[in-house]
Amino acid sequence: MALKSTHGPFDGSMSIVYECPTCSVQTAMLTNRAETQMVRSLGVRIGGRTTPEEPMETLRSNLASVQEESPEGPPSGTGGKCPFTGMVNDAIGAAESEPKKPVWTAEALARIEAIPHYIRPMVKRNVESYAREQGYLEIDEDVMDAVRGSLGM
Amino acid sequence: MSGKGGVGKSTVTACLADGLTRLGVRTGVLDADLNGPCMARMMGVRDHKPSPKNGAMIAARNAYGVPVMSMDMFLPEDETPLVWEASSQQGAYTWRSMVEMSALRELLSDTDWGDLDVLLIDLPPGAERLQNLADLLPDLTGAIVVSTASQTAMTVVSRSILMALNVANVRIAGVVENMSTMICSECRCKEQMFIGTEAVEELAERHGVPYLGAIPFNVTLADFLETGRSYIEVHAGHPAANAILDVAQRVHFWLKNQSK
Repeated sequence: MALKSTHGPFDGSMSIVYECPTCSVQTAMLTNRAETQMVRSLGVRIGGRTTPEEPMETLRSNLASVQEESPEGPPSGTGGKCPFTGMVNDAIGAAESEPKKPVWTAEALARIEAIPHYIRPMVKRNVESYAREQGYLEIDEDVMDAVRGSLGM
Repeated sequence: MSGKGGVGKSTVTACLADGLTRLGVRTGVLDADLNGPCMARMMGVRDHKPSPKNGAMIAARNAYGVPVMSMDMFLPEDETPLVWEASSQQGAYTWRSMVEMSALRELLSDTDWGDLDVLLIDLPPGAERLQNLADLLPDLTGAIVVSTASQTAMTVVSRSILMALNVANVRIAGVVENMSTMICSECRCKEQMFIGTEAVEELAERHGVPYLGAIPFNVTLADFLETGRSYIEVHAGHPAANAILDVAQRVHFWLKNQSK
């Protein structure tokens, strides 16, 4: 089987599609959102790590809002021997380091400002992640509505 | 621990840190209440920004040298609730307790406490909290139970003592009666706060655990705990300061007996 494509990560889940080079049969692997969060909450780094462990790594990397002057969150650390987890980490890393950040319209920004401050950064990241996933270069109120819809809200 | 909220676990923790320090015991304080942390404020280190050094996070030192670690120091503002990063907060019950246990483990083990004789851990309300802590710390020396003389509090506290002794298998250093009386800051007259004199002593006796003493409510003491200052140092000789020192001495005595 050869890697065909990856989709996501979006909303905590992503899929990886493999294809048989001979008969073209495809197999997809899907990460489950709840399981992904559970594994994350345990401090497990999928695929192992290449960076040294940092003190209070799980605590700092899992907080939705942190002290502005606190030390930076610990590096994510990729690596390991499993090709599947390597692909997951690469895809997540690629998604997180996407250079083209969508631009927020004034109306969308006003709407995000109405969200409680302690959860605002997380919501903003999720909307931006959705916009990148869908290929939007601009985040307006329609995009925000679409995110709400995708979350079943 | 107490199992009951509002009996003054954090107040007693701060008082004990003050008292034990005066007795020359090197004491640290860990705030294990992740969702309602207050020890950083009560110990006067709320503005401390934790920073890593040599692979550990340096604990804040308060005005009289007690190292303190609290979730509060990682949250940007006093009123910021603890929210864990997740793609969705829906279904968070499936993983929240897991991430909180990981966080508590890190607060305990990833902190550079310096040289300590005693680490006081301020638990949140809930009878199961001690058991969770005992899972993380199998060598936990013991638990200090805090109660008021309120019948409601004592019922919950009684349940927690049984839980500690029979389920978590944690030794109990004794019971501290908090807010036993109110001492007037002006004339030092005492007023009973709850009906039931000696009720907490009887509670301790019923469970076969020591009664460690009573800490009165005092407006000045409460004010000192709002700002993290040493009450005992400034108000030496005051009945409230003496009461705190008495409790600290009994705790110290119990601890010394455990290490023999």
